[in-house]
Formats: sequence, structure tokens, C-alpha cells
Amino acid sequence: MSTIPKHIPAEGYIPPSRQREQPRSQYKYLGQNMKRVEDPRLLTGQGGYIDDIKLPNMAYAAVLRSDRAHARIKRIDTSKAKALPGVILVLTGEEAKKMTGPTAQFATPPVVQYCIAVDRVRHVGEAVAAVVAETRYIAEDACELIEVEYEDLPVVIDALESMKASGDAVLHPDRGPTNIAHQKTFTFGPVDDDFAKADKIVRRHLRWPRSGAQPLETVGAVAHYASGTGKFTVYCNTSFVNYVGFVIAGSLGVPAHKLNVIPVTTGGSFGSKLFTHKVITLAATLARACGRPVKWMEDRLDNTLSCDNHGSDRIYDCQLALKNDGTMLSLKFRVIDDYGAYLQFGYGTHGNSLCQVVGPYQINSVQMELIAVLTNKCQQGAYRGFGSEVTNWMVERMVDAAVDELKLDPIEFRRKNLIKPEQFPYVIPTGNLYDSGNYPAVLDEALRIAKIPNWKDVQAKARAEGRCVGIGIACCQERSVFSATEFWSLNPVDAANFTLTSSPESTHIRIDPTGNIQVTLGSPFWGNSPETVATQLVAEQFQCDPANINIVYSDTASGYNSTGPGGSRFTVMIAGAIVGASIKLKEKMLRIAGRMLEAKPSDLEFRDGKIGVKGVPGMEKTIGEVALFAHMFRLNLPDGDDYASGLDASYVYDHPLTTMPAADRSHLGIFYPIMGHMCHLALVEVDAKTGKVKILDYVAVHDAGTLVNPMTLAGHIRGGTAQGIGSTLLEQFYYDENGQLLTATFTDYLIPTLHEMPPQIRVGHVQTPSPFTEYGIKGGGEGGRMGAPPALSAAVEDALRPYGIKIDELPLTPKRVRGLVRAAEQGKG
Amino acid sequence: MKPAAFDYVRPANLSEALQALARYGSKGKILAGGQSLVPMMNLRLVRPEVVIDINRLPALDHIRVEGGELLIGALARHSALYDSPIIAQHFPLMSEAYRHVAHKPIRNRGTLGGNVSHADPASEMPAVLLAGDAMLLASSSNTQRRIAAKDFFQGPLQTALKTDELLTEIRIPVAPAGRGYAFEEEATRKGDFALAAVAVLLDVSGGACAKAAIAVAGMGDCATRLREVESSLAGKLINDDAIVQAARTAKQSVTPIASYHADVEFKRDLVEALTARALRRALARCK
Amino acid sequence: MAGVTINLRVNGTATTRTIEPRMLLSDFLREELELKGTHVGCEHGVCGTCTVLLDGQSTRACLVFAVQADGSDVRTVESLSKDGKLHALQEGFWEKHGLQCGFCTPGMLMAATELIEKNPNPSLDDIREAVSSNLCRCTGYYNIVDSIAAGIAKMKEASK
Repeated sequence: MSTIPKHIPAEGYIPPSRQREQPRSQYKYLGQNMKRVEDPRLLTGQGGYIDDIKLPNMAYAAVLRSDRAHARIKRIDTSKAKALPGVILVLTGEEAKKMTGPTAQFATPPVVQYCIAVDRVRHVGEAVAAVVAETRYIAEDACELIEVEYEDLPVVIDALESMKASGDAVLHPDRGPTNIAHQKTFTFGPVDDDFAKADKIVRRHLRWPRSGAQPLETVGAVAHYASGTGKFTVYCNTSFVNYVGFVIAGSLGVPAHKLNVIPVTTGGSFGSKLFTHKVITLAATLARACGRPVKWMEDRLDNTLSCDNHGSDRIYDCQLALKNDGTMLSLKFRVIDDYGAYLQFGYGTHGNSLCQVVGPYQINSVQMELIAVLTNKCQQGAYRGFGSEVTNWMVERMVDAAVDELKLDPIEFRRKNLIKPEQFPYVIPTGNLYDSGNYPAVLDEALRIAKIPNWKDVQAKARAEGRCVGIGIACCQERSVFSATEFWSLNPVDAANFTLTSSPESTHIRIDPTGNIQVTLGSPFWGNSPETVATQLVAEQFQCDPANINIVYSDTASGYNSTGPGGSRFTVMIAGAIVGASIKLKEKMLRIAGRMLEAKPSDLEFRDGKIGVKGVPGMEKTIGEVALFAHMFRLNLPDGDDYASGLDASYVYDHPLTTMPAADRSHLGIFYPIMGHMCHLALVEVDAKTGKVKILDYVAVHDAGTLVNPMTLAGHIRGGTAQGIGSTLLEQFYYDENGQLLTATFTDYLIPTLHEMPPQIRVGHVQTPSPFTEYGIKGGGEGGRMGAPPALSAAVEDALRPYGIKIDELPLTPKRVRGLVRAAEQGKG
Repeated sequence: MKPAAFDYVRPANLSEALQALARYGSKGKILAGGQSLVPMMNLRLVRPEVVIDINRLPALDHIRVEGGELLIGALARHSALYDSPIIAQHFPLMSEAYRHVAHKPIRNRGTLGGNVSHADPASEMPAVLLAGDAMLLASSSNTQRRIAAKDFFQGPLQTALKTDELLTEIRIPVAPAGRGYAFEEEATRKGDFALAAVAVLLDVSGGACAKAAIAVAGMGDCATRLREVESSLAGKLINDDAIVQAARTAKQSVTPIASYHADVEFKRDLVEALTARALRRALARCK
Repeated sequence: MAGVTINLRVNGTATTRTIEPRMLLSDFLREELELKGTHVGCEHGVCGTCTVLLDGQSTRACLVFAVQADGSDVRTVESLSKDGKLHALQEGFWEKHGLQCGFCTPGMLMAATELIEKNPNPSLDDIREAVSSNLCRCTGYYNIVDSIAAGIAKMKEASK
């Protein structure tokens, strides 16, 4: 049974499943809380992060950054800097431009950017010059000796103001006389009809400001240029090496094979290190220009001011059409997104949002007017959720608005509107598919763990004492495994779009003559657990001891097409690649073992590190024995390619379920269908006098399909919830009216410490396997950040219910909360 | 973020330190714990030409009681004061305030003398010393003087210390038996600098206020005593109405400077809330 | 200024170097001594990633100039494991999934080491307080506290 909206042609809309490994009730290695393979080296200080890399004769870079938000660069005098002992090279944007073209970007039409600003600076912190010196200390000394003469231009910080900007306030006049990068309305289904049928329409104005990934490790690159071969070798804590890494070679003006990017252990990313093209481009440019290997390591200021750390920055005006009985009919909204000074990832964060824009609910139609605006701020990058954590918040705020309007119970209202288990696979109005789910089960499990009646007692007692305690619920989607179409499906259709549709993941598995299994990953370690997950999957496939499995990483020179972690996709995709490669390998091993045991391959099975005859214990060969035979004893095997010496296989696993958007964009096809789900519940106390929000209790139940390692998923749930708490209560990249970033260091950009966390986060799991992925796995890496902001916003609103306060803007800092209470008190008094 | 280059001097005793200060004047900067100075140097907000490291100066980290006064050497580390039973007994306001000061690694290195010499407006200890009527002893190569806390703190990051003076000791009158005390703070996160902090010492006789000392920090200017509030309480019966009224007076009497984390109205609200809480708890401790 | 010569013990080894006064202890450990286990996250003393033990006290290595460590004893994460065997605290982190990206982990381990050396029987609140000034962006902190508790339990078990 599947559910497809009427405005989408149903015939053949959902491709058949490519799943080869069905979910099972029991596994030997999957589903285990296996200790992580990655940990021993990380625990002993041998992580091999980018700043640990040192090449012979290596020099160090530092960057001079603009201190103003918008200005023409009239003159740069680097002579004093060059004269400083220990300085090797000083490069301005004009000089760099002669060697290196614009940095890679995915907006259509393009928004041109260089690794060092040319002609003008467009945000505080933009690179204006770069220095290479014997030490980082000297490089920073030299930066201070560079003299820059600016001619100030009008600064636009407010998105609404920027929409009206003209003349010199336009950031990219070559692209058009406006800072509106894109404005388009998308209608999915009979929105006007549904609104005409409504009994009630609730409206909210919502503001989600930018917060950002802020991993503890910044971005860095160590670049080496061999002038004899014209080849770059760059170490970097990047991810897209085997996906679009070749585009960076284009910026450097060399063929793709002359740039080898080597990924390293990465100290957290949360999306912000997906591409890191600007850092690679700058480091490589400097290495080529000065003739020595160059380490370009961002410090914390470099990172907050100019890197890919900044998340969505949105203003919503929403309308939700309702029936009196609580049925939600249609959702309409205008969203203004302040992208900052450039547009490196296009509007992908809105494509992303549309994959789950109705939440887990049966809403019949959706209309979005998207306005993408440029301002004098650092450009957005990618941050855990990539825009859909914002729509989760928006949808749940609208649901709570509906609950208030109709005076219904927030839990039962949601339950009533949830998509039912028998309706899957469920296609939502935008065309995306929800592959499977049991949303009532997740809700019930969350309620069971939380014991809401106890919470209500706590609330009642507190209210009797005049204290503000509130309960909030959020039922949210966590989509996983993005398709490439989200990057361009919202672009102008008549423009020259790069309509890429590939987003694969690959692996190469090699069994050596001793029987050890080496698995090569094309994507790096971010703090997710790729080695552990891959080990468990391979162990499950070959039924062998995980200790015999070894994971290595490939660079661009040797790597297969791999998109990397991001969009909670890695576990699903590497599972597909590993299953694909394993099937090929196992086939060959069974053939060879059959020869060794004089049995038919179909009578053989993998068991306990051996291949043996089914039902005949003792009649078996170890994987090592089979491997040795396969590698070394060619003449004992028949002719033909099937028995070529060796034992290895590679596999490229493409996205298991992607379809094209309609030409008129009445739907966007299937682009993010592996759909996880969560229910978050929060109990908070708000101090009305100080505005402080304290989380008393917290429950998070997630359904990420079949779990490979429940312990690591719980880690993402808790860690993601911590980041959600940060975005909701503490964090903001705040620019003043002159474009100065007031929250540029950790003193003012407030990351949650242990003390800001609730006493515990009680985690529950529900497993509704996907019919489309291997073993039915779904992604869960973005975890709690997708559900915490709406749950906490609802809880704070509930706590302040006696004041009639509505929560429609984040972050809920003490200043903001106390301000809301004060206004309510003064309104009454 | 690397600091600018500097010359480094490490005097072995107080006399050498004071001579260095006299010699280098405004080119020199004292390095004690470094927890305030070094971040500013790393960000190149300050770039002293000469750093005078006084961490090896002997006999400047004492904590003892003598002649009715608590004597604290300027180099006493926050962590020592945090754990000190002498402070807990003779100046419990400071012990309580220390629960809000930074974190262990910062307290391990940071010194009370360095902290008050730096005089960050959002730092807790200046308010504590003001409430306690502390006397600060400062020496130069040819002078010694005693500066009352109320004269010591002059503005944001500004003290009465001259360029060639070093703070050597802080003296606080030992608390009489039965004195009530309380320290209240609101910060963005536990251990962060104060958005507002109120330090209260209270002596009560027959239910009436015999002496009240109320100091506030976090307003953007230097920590100050709330004399208006203290006068309004003098001789009055301290009941809840009086406390509420005093808190309101406190709110009106401060002149906060807005910051990113707190606008003026919010700081005023905090001062009112924290003054009330501190007075209530101090009163409960009065005997 | 000409270089200043310092003599100190690092992870038990007597060490002599001549360096610029402005060289931060964090850079000294990483660049002069090639001890990469101490990480750098912010260089303004907030994140705690660079936490080491200086004369037994937890210290932000980014807020100390290496010249100040002359005559001192410095311990980093590399001092914990011996002969390829993990310290009980490290075992605890491994078992209880106390790390994801691992970048904050050495700082956490050194803060925990100070704690157990001063207080072999800390409560869970003592553990929380000990690591409360170390930022972690990955884990949400719960598993870190559990890891340290597990490591301490192991140490007690081993000493029986």
C-alpha cells in the first residue's frame, strides 16, 4: 500500500526496491554495541588530525582579514610585510587571481568568490591578503604590517533592508542590480482549494537566527606542490574528496589528476567540513607560489569569521489551514533566508527542507515562496540538518499554534494527524517519499519513558508555588541519505544548471593471503564511526571475527566515487557498498572453496570465519586458507577471469531511490526518502525574574530503522540534542549594524557545557526498517539537533503560558526570555 | 592567534620585581596567573614590550589571620582560596563567591591579586572586596601605600595602581560572629563572567539592620557599593517588605552599560532579583 | 629577544630547549617536542582542549608561555598509556563510548587525571565539576562522565 498525492502521476512513481539484504530479527554483529575501532589511537593522542601533519621544509600561512563589512580595496601595500625576516611570501587577491581562478561554488547563476578578495570585501573577516612565513607567529606579525586602504560602501546586515538595496549596497552587481539572489514560489498540490476549505487559518511570524557547527577543530590544509610534475598533494580535513574534489583542480587551473587530496582524521564537522574548498584552494595557491609546502591552519577567529560554519538564517511568515476537528489541510509560507555575502551551496538548504516539510503529518498541500538574500555577513555553510532542522521547528511551532487556536491537546492533536503505518510508502506533496515508519509507536514509547502524568504533577505543584514549569513535545522527521537533486531542483529551470544526479558511496574490499580483510573507505572520519560501522557490516557479511578486519581511507588518487558523511547518509550508503562488494567477493570465495572442498557453492555457507558445507561440521576451510589458495595457486583453478589470482572487489553503490523532479517543479521527485523519525519531550523550568531556562528532564525516542551500533547512535542523539539545546538557548552568530561579528570567539559564542545539559537524556529506540536500503538501515547521524529546538520552544512557551507569551524567535537567551516576561507584565499592569 | 613578541623578565624576589616595574614603566606588564592577560595577548589586544613574570616571587601567596585581619598575599591562587578553611571561616562571602568564579584550570593559575588588578567589570572578586571593606597594599620600588577598596576600583579595567606599582597584599577585617553573608550571580553559563552579581554582608541587631554592605558587579563599569540601598536599610527592621523595597532601590540606583548578552533593562531586572535573593539568604544566616 | 633556555620534565623525560618567550606551551609541546596529543581549539582559554598537567595542576596550555614552565613538570595525554597498554581512564572512555571525534578527549583525560590524583574516590558530581570547563561538541557529555567513573572503578578493581 502506498500513498501518492493526486497532483503527482502515480504510475511508476516509486521505483522498485534495490534492497538485497533483508532485515532480520537477529544478527551476529549488527545491532551490537561494539567498542569503536577508531578509539585506541584517538585516546592515546595519535589521532593524526590535520594540524598534526608536518612536511619537511614546511612553512606556515596566516591571513589578513577585512575589519569592515563592505568596502572597495583601493590599495594594498605589502612591502613592509615582505621585508620582515622570516617572511617568504605575501599575496594579495589581485596577485592570487593571476594564478588561481574563482573558488568552486554551486549557485546558479554563479556568485563569484576568490580565495583572497579581489576588488572589494563583502564581510568582516573576508581574506584580504595571505602571508607565508617560517612560523605562524611571524606570519601573524607580517599580517599586521600590511597596509590596506579601503573605500567604504554601504553595509546591509538586515535581510529585509538588503532586499530593498540598490546601487553600491548591492554585493554582486555583475550578477544583477539586487541582493535578492533568488525569489520563487513553489506550489505542491491544491493549496488554494485547501485554504478555501479551511475552518481556521493560523498565522505565525517566526525567526530562526544563524548558529553554527563550531566543531572544536577548525579547518586546515597542508599543501605540497611539485613543480617538476605540476602536481598538488593536499592534506585536509575535508569530506568531498572523492565526490567533487576535482572541481578544486579547476580553480587551480590544473587537470583533475594533478590534485590529490588526502583526507585526515577530523575533529568534528557537523556539516561544516563537507567541502572546505576555500581552504584547500588557498593552501595550494600559496604552496605553488612560494615553492615550499604550506600549512594553512585556521585559528578560531579565522573559522568563525570566514569558514563554512554558519547555518540557516531565516524569517518565516506561515499560514496553516485547519478544520475545526483538528485536521491540518495545507501549509503556506514565505521564507527569507539570509545567505551572507556569497552562495557557495546554492539554495540546497531549502531543497533539503522540502523533503520533510509536512513533518510526520498528513498535510495535503504546501506552498513555499523562497527569497534568498545576500548580506554583508560570512556566507552560510552546512550545519547538521542543513535547513530541515529549521523547517522541523517551523512546522511544530505551527502545530502548537493550531493546538492553541483550537484549544486541543498537543499530544492528541499530533497523534490524530500522524501518517499511519499502513499508509507507507508515503509520498508527500513535494514529491519526496517517506519509505517506512511507525509514528504512533515512537510517540507511545516516548510517552511511556517520560511518564507525562508525573511531569504534569511537577508542573501543577510548581504553578501552585508561582513557578513556571512547562512541558513540550516535538514529533519530527529525520531524513537521511540526500540525493544530489536537492542542490539544484529549486534553481531557475532555464538557467545553465549542473543537474547532477549522482551521490554514491564506494568501497574496495581486499582479502589478503592470510585471510585478513582490508576495507577501503572513500570518505573520511568525522567523529561518526565509519570504521566501526564498516567492520560490523563486513563481519556480518563474512561471519568472521571483527579483529581480522582492517579499515583504511583512500585519497582522490585512489578513491572510488564517494559522497561522504553528511545528511545522515554514511551508514546506509557504506552498507550498500559493502554488501555489493561482499556479494561479489563471496561468490568467488564460494567457487574456490567449492573446489577445495569438492562441494557445490550452493551447499556452502560462511560460518565463524570459515566456509563450510551446510549441516556438516568440520568440513570447512578457514577464510585464510581460501584466500591463500585464491592468491597463490592459479594453476589449481580453472581458466577464465572468474578465477584470476587475488581476492578483492570494489563496488559503487548509488543512491537507492532517487527520481527526477518534474520539469515544471510541481513536484521534486524522490530525493531524500530514507526517513527516520523522532519524538522529543522536554520538561523545563523558567525563572521569570532572570529569564534562565533550566531543563529538568528530557526524553528522545528515535527510529532510525535497523541499528548497526545502538551505542554510537545514542551518542549522536545525545550529542545532537546538546547542539539543539545550544541553538535554542545559547548560540547565535550575531552581527551588529556595522557588520561586526560580536560573537566571534568562544567567550561570546556560547557552546553548551556539561552544566547546560539536563540531568539525563533518556533515549529510546524504535526500529522500523527501510524497504529500500540494505538490512533496512536508516541514517541517524544528525540526531537530536533535529528535534530539540521545537521541543524546548514548546516547553518554554508552556511554562510561560500564564503570561500568554508565544515563542517565535530564538535563541531563548535569558535576555530574550526576561524581555518577553517584562513586556507581558507591563502589558497587564 | 599568536601573541606579538616581547622580552621576558623573571624577577626572583619582590625587590627585583619592583625595580623592573620602575625601569620599564608602561612598556612592562606584570604576568601573574595569566588567565586574563594571555588571552588578550593572543588576540593581540595588548602587546607589552616586556613581560615581568612574578610567579616565582616567594612569600606572596599567604592566607592567614593576624590581628583581627585576614591577610591574603596577592599571588594566592584562586584554587587555594576556593579550598581554604581559613577563608571559609573568616570570610565566607568569598568562599561562596568562588563557586561562581571560572573553572578549575583557570583557578589553578589565576591569582586574587592579578584578578583585582585587572579589574574586569564582570569579575566577582572586586565586588566581594568592596563589600568586605578590604584594604589593598601596593608597593613600588620606593613607596608603599594602603588603598581602600572603594578607592582602588576606578573604572572598567582601571584601578588606582600606578604603572610602577605592584599589588602585594589584600587585608580584610575578620567577620564578627553572627554576620550574615550571601553572593548571588547570574551568568550566561556557570563559570562565565557575571551578567550581574550582588555581594551582601549583613549585621542585624534585634531584627534591625546594624550594618549592610551591598556591592554589585557586571554593570559594565567597575564594581560598586550600593550606598543608597545600604542607607535605606540602616536601622530598619529587616523583613520581606524591606528586602523587596531595597531590591527595587538597587535596581534604580545602578547605571548599567548594555552588552551583547544583556541590555540595560535586563541588567536592572537582574540586580533587583539578585539583591532580593542575596538579602534573604544573608538574613537567614544572621545570628 | 634572543632565545630563552628552559629545562623542564615532560612526561617524565628531562628536556632542554631554547625558545622565544612568546611561544605558548601548547605550541612548544606540539611543535618543539612533536607531542601531538595536546590539541588546540581556541587559543583564548575557553574550550579546554589544550588541558595539560603543570606541576600536577590542570592548566590551559594555550594560556602559559613555555618559558614559564622552566623547572616544572608537564604531563600530557601521552603519559597515560604505558608500554602500549591503555590507562584505566582510557579503557573507561573506550568502553563507555566517551568520545566521537576525539578532539576534546586528551583534555578531558588530563582533567580527569588531576581529579583522581587529588581525590581517588570522587562522586559523580565531583567528576562533572572536574570536566565542566572542557567543551565537547560531539557527545553531550554524559558518556564522558560515565567513562571516567568506569575508569575509576577499573583502577579500584586493579588495586585490590
